[in-house]
This record gives sequence, C-alpha cells and structure tokens, in this order.
Amino acid sequence: MSDAKFFQRGKIQELRLELNSDKKDRNYTRKKQTLKKIVANMTMGNDMSSLHPDVIACMSIPVLEVKKMVYLFLINYAKAKPEMAYEAIQTFRRDVEDPNPLIRALAIRTMGYIHVDKVTSCLIQPLRHCMRDQDPYVRKTAAVCVAKLFMQDRHLVENAGFIDLLREMLVDSNPSVVANAVAALTEISERSDHIQLQLNMSIASKLVTALNECSEWGQTYILESLMFVVPQEPGDAEMLAERIAPRLQHANSAVVLTAVKVIVYLMNYMSREEDIHSMCKKLSPPLVTLLSSGPEVQYVGLRNILLVIQKHPEILKNDIKIFFCKYNDPIYVKMAKLEIMFRLASEHNVEQVLSELKEYATEVDVDFVRKAVRSIGRLAVKIESTAQRCVEALLELIQTKVNYVVQESIVVIKDIFRKYPNQYESIIGVLCENLDNLDEPEAKAAMIWIIGQYADRIENSDELLDDFLYTFLEETVEVQLALLTATVKLFIKRPTAGQDLVPKVLKWATEEVDNPDLRDRGYIYWRLLSTDVAAAKAVVLSEKPHISTETDNMDPVLLEELLLHIASLSAIYHKAPTTFIPHCKPRFLIPSPALRRQNYNAGRTLQHQDSYSSLHNSAQYQQSQSNNMRSQRFDGDDSGNGGLDEFVSSPKQPQHQRLSYHEQSFEQVAEASIGNQEYYEQKINAENPYRTDTAAVGGSQANKGGGVDLMSFDL
Amino acid sequence: MIESLFVLSPTGKVIIEKHWHELIPRRVVDFFNDQVSKAMAEGEDVTREDVLPIIASPKYQLINVYRDGLTYLSPVTKEVDPMMVFEFLHRIPDIMQEYFGQVSETVIKENFVTVYQLLEEMMDDGFPLTTEPNSLKEIVPAPNILNKVITTMGATTSVSTRKMPNGMSNLPWRKAGVKYNSNEIFFDIVEEIDAIVDSTGKAVSCEAHGTIQTNSRLSGMPDLTLSFVNPRLVDDCSFHQSVRFNKWESDKVLSFVPPDGHFRLMSYRVNLPSQQNLPIQVKPSINIGANGAKFDITVSLRNTDGKAVENVVLTLPLHKSTSTLTAQCNVGQYMFDPVGKVLRWDVGKIVPRERAPVLSGSFGFGSASSEAAANAGYNIGVEFLINSHSLSGLKVDVLKLFNESYKPYKGVRTMTKAGRYQVRA
Repeated sequence: MSDAKFFQRGKIQELRLELNSDKKDRNYTRKKQTLKKIVANMTMGNDMSSLHPDVIACMSIPVLEVKKMVYLFLINYAKAKPEMAYEAIQTFRRDVEDPNPLIRALAIRTMGYIHVDKVTSCLIQPLRHCMRDQDPYVRKTAAVCVAKLFMQDRHLVENAGFIDLLREMLVDSNPSVVANAVAALTEISERSDHIQLQLNMSIASKLVTALNECSEWGQTYILESLMFVVPQEPGDAEMLAERIAPRLQHANSAVVLTAVKVIVYLMNYMSREEDIHSMCKKLSPPLVTLLSSGPEVQYVGLRNILLVIQKHPEILKNDIKIFFCKYNDPIYVKMAKLEIMFRLASEHNVEQVLSELKEYATEVDVDFVRKAVRSIGRLAVKIESTAQRCVEALLELIQTKVNYVVQESIVVIKDIFRKYPNQYESIIGVLCENLDNLDEPEAKAAMIWIIGQYADRIENSDELLDDFLYTFLEETVEVQLALLTATVKLFIKRPTAGQDLVPKVLKWATEEVDNPDLRDRGYIYWRLLSTDVAAAKAVVLSEKPHISTETDNMDPVLLEELLLHIASLSAIYHKAPTTFIPHCKPRFLIPSPALRRQNYNAGRTLQHQDSYSSLHNSAQYQQSQSNNMRSQRFDGDDSGNGGLDEFVSSPKQPQHQRLSYHEQSFEQVAEASIGNQEYYEQKINAENPYRTDTAAVGGSQANKGGGVDLMSFDL
Repeated sequence: MIESLFVLSPTGKVIIEKHWHELIPRRVVDFFNDQVSKAMAEGEDVTREDVLPIIASPKYQLINVYRDGLTYLSPVTKEVDPMMVFEFLHRIPDIMQEYFGQVSETVIKENFVTVYQLLEEMMDDGFPLTTEPNSLKEIVPAPNILNKVITTMGATTSVSTRKMPNGMSNLPWRKAGVKYNSNEIFFDIVEEIDAIVDSTGKAVSCEAHGTIQTNSRLSGMPDLTLSFVNPRLVDDCSFHQSVRFNKWESDKVLSFVPPDGHFRLMSYRVNLPSQQNLPIQVKPSINIGANGAKFDITVSLRNTDGKAVENVVLTLPLHKSTSTLTAQCNVGQYMFDPVGKVLRWDVGKIVPRERAPVLSGSFGFGSASSEAAANAGYNIGVEFLINSHSLSGLKVDVLKLFNESYKPYKGVRTMTKAGRYQVRA
C-alpha cells in the first residue's frame, strides 16, 4: 500500500476514531496504518496536533515502528505545545530503562530534540546513565545528545559533568562511540567561549587507532579533531601525518579532504624538508582523484586546491592537464579550473596553457571567455618568454571583432605595455581601429591610458582623445580619471596638440564634477602645470613601478588562516570565516617548539578577529592597499592594478566592487589602515588568551587568567 | 553540521522538509528558487547544472545538490565541511534508489513515512550516522513485496524479537545472518576515459578512471581475497571501507568482508602511457563562413584489440543562432534538435575493418547571426563502450574465500567506455 493516499486531508475526527477503535487489532496493524496517515498529514503541514492525547497513548505499545512514529509526532509539535511533552514524560522515563537498547537510544535521542525545560531536566539523569550504558549503540547516541543539550543550555552541560563523561568516552572500546564523542566535543569547543579542545599526543594516537575501524563519517570527526593537536616535536607531526595518510585513499571525498587539511596543518610543525616534500607528494594524487567526482565535489576540491598550491607550489605542479576545461563542465567548475591553470602555468607548460586559453576564448559563455582572454594577458605578464605569443593570440582575438573579446583584450594589453615598455607598441594601430566599439569603462580607461602614454607616437592622439572627451561628463569616474591624466600627458608630450584640450578638461574636472578624487587630481595637475612645467613632467611622466602578477597572491596572513579551514565554507569563498559567520571562533597556528618560524609570525597576526576583519574585508582590503600606493606616486595613473586583482577574489564577485574605492579619498584610506595597524599590535600584546597555552598543553591546568578553560586530555 | 534539509520538486516545491536544529522558515526556499531562476536567466546556455552548488543568502549558505530533477537543499548558518554535506546529500537519493528502485517526486510521496524514518536514522543532530544500506535495512524495513504481505497479514516482528542492529559491530557495513541458496559474487570492472582530443586526433588531456562494482550475494560472513595479475597498472586507488588497506599496501591484494548487495569495491586511476592510443578516432572538419558552415565528421577505430565499439553516439552543440541544418550519414541516424540546437548522431556499433561512418552536411545561421557565431569553437561529445576490454589491461587473477565453506559462483566482466570524452573541431 502506498503512502500517497494518506495525503488526502484526513479528517481529524475520523483518525481519532480509527486510533481508538476497539476492533481486534492483531499486532497493532491498524494502529500502525492510522499513525502512518497522521505522520504523513503532519509532514504535509496539516495540523494534527489536536490528536496528541490519542497519539501519546500509543507510546506504550511495544512495537518499535509505532514508537518511532509517535516520537516523530512529538518532535514536530512539542515545541509549540509543551504540555504535550509533559504527558509523554512518564513514558520517556520508562523507555530510557527499557531492556531493548534500541528503545533506550531512541528515547534519549527524541528527548534531546524536545526543547522543553521539563523534558530537559528529566533527561539529565538518564543521559548520564546512557553515557555509561553497556550497549555501544546507546553510548554513541548519548554522546551526540550531549552536543544537542549544549545548544539548548550551555551552562547545564558545563556544570553537570557531561564534558568529563565525554572525555572518558574518548577511550571507549568501540570506535563509533569514540568518533561520536569526538564529534560532540569538537562541536562544543567550536561554540563555547570557555571550552577549547586540545588533544595531547597520547590521546591523538589512540584516536588514530580508532580511525581505522569506524564509519566514514566517524573518520571525518576524528580527523577534524586532530586539528586540535599541537605537536611539540617535529617527530610527532611526522608520525601523525604518516598514520593519517592512508585516509587519503578513502572513497568518501569528505574523509579525503579532511585528511588533506590535517596533513597540511601538521606540515607546519615538521622540521625536515624531505618529510614535507614526501607529504606533498602524497597529497597530489588524492586531490586529482577528487576531480573525477561529481561537479559539486570538483568545485569544493578546486577551491581548496587553489589554497593548497599557494602554500606548497610543488603539489600538482606536473598535473596541469587535469585542470583543462571540458566544454560541458558547469561554469563554476570552469572558472575555478582556470584560476588554477593560471597559477600552475610555468615555463615548462606555458605552451599548452596558452593553446588551451585560446580554445576557451571561442566558447559561448561570456564570463568564461572574458576570464580566458584576461588570463592570456596575465600569462604574458607572468612569464616573459611567452609574452610575444600571448600578444599575437590577443591580436588574433581582436580580429574576431567579437565585442567583449576586443574590450577584454585591450584591458590586458595595457598591462602588457606597462610590463614590457617599448616592445609591443607596433600593435597600437590595430587597437585604434576598435575605438568605436568600446562601451565598457574598464576597456575605455585602458585604451585612453594607452593613448596618453603613447601620445607622441600616435599621430592623431589629440583627435582620438578629443573624441573620447566629447562625452566626458557622462563617463564613469574611472574613465574620467583616465581622460584627465591622458590629456595632461598629451599636453606635456605635444604641447601644441594638447593646448586646446587641457584647459577644457581641467575646468570640467575641477568645476563640473562632484567626485573628490577627480577634483583633487585636477587641481594638482592645474597647479603643477601653472607653476613648473618641468616638475609636472617629472611627476606625470615618471618611471612607472614594475607590475607583476605577484599582486595575484593572496595575502599570506589570510592564506595561513584559510589553510586551517580547508574543507569549510571559508575555503570556498576564500574569506576568513569570522567575516561572514557569526560567533565563529578564529583559528590560528598555536606556537610550540616545533612550529616552523615563518608560520609562527603569520599565526600570531591572526589572533584578533575584530581588528583583523576590519583590515581584511575581502577584496576591498587589497584595493585600499593598492590605492594607498598609488596615492603616493601622484602620477594619477590608474593602470597599476587595473586588471590584476581579480584572481584573488571569489569567482562571482561583481566587478563594480573594484570601482567603489574611488569614492573614498586617498588620505582617508591611508589613515584608516595605519590606525588599524597600531590598534592591532597593541591588542596582540595586551590580552592574548592563547599566549600561555604552551604551558597548558599536555597538562590539565586551565588558563583562568585569559578566560579560556583549556580542555587537555591526559591519560 | 547539517541543520536542515529540503527536498524540492522540479518546480521548486517542497516535498520533504526536515530540521535537526532550529526550524528554518520556508522563505529560504523561495529565495533559493529566485536565485536559481536568476542564474538561469543570465545566458542562453546556462542550465540548472550551472547553478552554483553553494549560494550565499543574507542569513544562510544554501548548499544544494541537483539530481534527476530533484534538488536537495541544505541551508546552514554555521561553518560546515561542504564536502561532507555534499556527500551526505548524495547519499539520500542513493539510499532511496536502493529502497524504492527509483527516485522521483511520486516515489517519495508514495513512501513518505519510510523516507522520514530513514532520514531519522541517517542523521542525528546534524551528524551523519548510518548511511550504509545494509545497516539501514535492519533498522528501517524496505517496502518490498514480502514486507507488504507481512504487513497486511499482520505478522510484524515485535520489538522483543528484533535483533540489535549490526551498526555497532566492527563491520558496520555487513548485516549478520545473510543466507542465500546459491552463493554468487559478480565483479564489474568498468574503465572510463575522460579525454580532450584536438581536431588532428591528438589527445590534449587524457585520463582514465576505473571502478570495480561488486554485487555480492554470499551467505554468512565471507572473508574474501581478490588478487590481480597485474596490480601495478593501477594508481591512486580509493576503497570501500571494507577493504583492508594495509593488505593492499603490502601485498597488492584486496582483502575484505563484503557488504551484502551492490557496492563499489574500489576506484582507481589508470596509468596511461604518455602517448595513449585512444580506441576511437573522431575527425571533424567544420568550415565556417559568415552565414553558416559546412561540416563532415568521420569516425574510425584505432586501438580496440579487434573488438567492436558499441553504442557510439556523437553530439555536437551548435551555436544558438543556428536555424537550419541538412546532413546525411552512411551509418546510423542523426537528429537535429532545433530548440536546444544540438546535432546528435547515433552511430551504433562499429565493427573493425568495416567502412568508416561519415556524417556530412551544412548548417546556416539565422538572421541574428553575429561575429560570435562565426568565431565560436565547436566541441563534439563522444559516447561509446567496448565490452570485454579494459584500457588498463587490469585482470583478476583469483578470488579466495575464507571463513565459509561453500564454493561461490564468481563472475568478472570488464568494459571500457567513454566518460567525459570530447573532440574539438
């Protein structure tokens, strides 16, 4: 019989009669059918709560299936109708002492879901018993129940000795119990202000032993808990990593990625380069294997790979081919692959990478094509030997006349000009053929920069600029700034050609436009030009600082933090968890004698989430940084980082973010960040709750001074 | 930790809703549906598969899996391991498949109570718990014919006679007391080739993955040892949790107590020589003009050990502005889908030394043709399979059975097929 017909809106009264029918009901078949109807109705959102006295009466029926349905009913309605839960308390009391372990476990589990004070207080005593039950199924259910209880009432769990009981369970003879106890402790530690999980080597070693015998999910819990081991000697880190390594070959990708995370973490505490090297070698194949799974797993894998290879570039350096995109990969997978391809590109494989990128530039998805074109330009900047071929590829793409391809190419060609001055200017003619099609601010600004920069080589540069100036007041600030600077450059290089344009632009910039950046820059140029043309020349035409793809690298502090969060949402977004998840505990590398030096510093700087998040608010931080540098140069050139900050932001970040910084004045940004830095250093020295943890590790004393009760387990 | 689960119908309606922590209001589903439609409206080529598996909303991170028309949506507020959530979400349809034989909106509704009971066992407080079909079937009975008969006859097992679930033994994947009249075990070695091939036939990238799917119908607690003639051919293996890893490390044999029924024993990567000869060659030539293109595509066999290649299907997605297509082929039949703009050629079986299948013809762009159409690249998706052939050459040597006295029937099949295999034109 199918459950579908239960969906017809059951008449409550009818169901009640059925449930209370006196007819002979051998083995409660009729009752079961009726309860099924009630549960089905309930899950469809029909209100069945008025049936509660009749349903609860069924709790005493010794049939597991019946009990399960009654419990489903209770969990669903108890929150809204606490009195319903009161009626069930007596039966719960009986059930937690039932000879059948399944029923004991079920009762404990259900009570944990009913967030009603009276039920909770009835739960405490039996829960304690169940944690020491002779049956492992009951014990493992009880362990999870403690975590549940913690969500409801932290103080209760902390004060009623449950933490100690959980701690005892870590050495349970049954691996599933160990895994659940570890999961509960980790969960509590992540949520609690007072409790911080820390495991010493001896307990870690026992956990790893249990690892081999428990279910796949249990393995992820145990692996995750190993993030709370602080190896005191490099040998400990190596031994642990070695023992975890077989998990890299598990069929469950969550187990694999958590194992990767723990090993990458432990590598911070290893001393010998050859150990690190051999671990890196072991990490490549499982990461490759993730890419043969479904698209979601691939996506998570790719985002994490991007982090891991920034820290350990030797991982996957010979596997670039697996990141080549298939035309029917989902867009988000393609985008993530492209970023990794760019990072893995080197002298050895650049030929293949370039030919792939050219292929992608002919696909249909606009975002992907743009990113491919942009990557060609960046490849030229990254690897000098290939610049010539990249420029040729870009020229070919410009010939296609596909509008967005042309615009994207021009944006990156500007970067190539800056990186390799006096090498590729011969192509300017081709670029100038496409002026009419430019309608995106970034492409326009790039083209205008090129015209300004080469005003003396482009014969009709004054006419070209004049054309652009025609719509000056309607342009975005990005384009206006570019026009202003380009016009001044033209005037300095070819005074006669620029003399009509400059006054016009300066007047617009200082009088007609509201934007303070534009106005300030206009005034500066104006004064420079009117007081000392030689000085103006020195400033405006000064040597540009070199650009490189170094700016693509993620902020090392952020990278270190994210590496501790591999296999988490932060690692997908590449954002510190504290910036988007409320009440999240920041993680950092805890110092120990074994911690490698450079990490030690990075670790320390992570400790203060408040100052940290204000500084590192994702991509804006990078922008304000580059903005600072630019403000010191004072040549008003926007070409520096135009196209270079995209790879560090998350894949679908809207481009308009990049524009937002223009609204802040340079000085404000500079001040703000200096202020933060001071604040930030003071904070670190003032109250660092974790500073003394080295003392607490391995022992069981609590660091009360810092307000953190360190849970350390000693056996 | 997983906080809540919604299973959505193809139209975005909630079929199943389950909350392990706080109740998350259904508004979140509306938000999710809006995001999906927004994403799909972004471009003509954007399909449901292109929607990000993790979508940020102001309050929740919406982790979702799309499978067979149904969406499994898990909104979370706290930091989680998304890999674990994805693995778990995929298990739900896997288990339903195992229980009901198929997964669809109707099937779920027909088995509503069972589905809820399963979810109850599969997860506690957001922790995945029991997801092994073998253990689950002991706790939640599958609605098979026999069970239905028993239910109607009113002969249910009462609590007192129920066994403890085996979930707590050291072999959580195998139930006790399995009994078959004829004991048999089958291994399917399936190798899939993922490749990108350029128009000259050269592989740009090529990977092959193998899996050993097993169907075990053995009584009692059989302890098996499977050895290969040439285990060194495989690399980067991952195993079912029953496989004793140390044995593989030391002796390169698979030693395990199998779960009952279907399971994936092992998956691996095939070590391909750097210049692998692919079994099949597809040679496309497409000459694009301003208003359309002429094309011909030839398929030939290359390296199949004299075996026939079956179920050969080529799909060529055309540019969206394509309006007309004419073609002819000497083998099989072709079909042009004027809505999806896809040319599909069912070639069928190709036997060695027979004439090579050719499809040729032309297509034209409609009035809305643009530079993009004229410059677009073309890719051909290729499907095929070769029976009794393994690309790696992996061969089973012997299967030994310990701990039980019967002699089981053993069967091994091999197959090579195209995975994600595409040819650039």
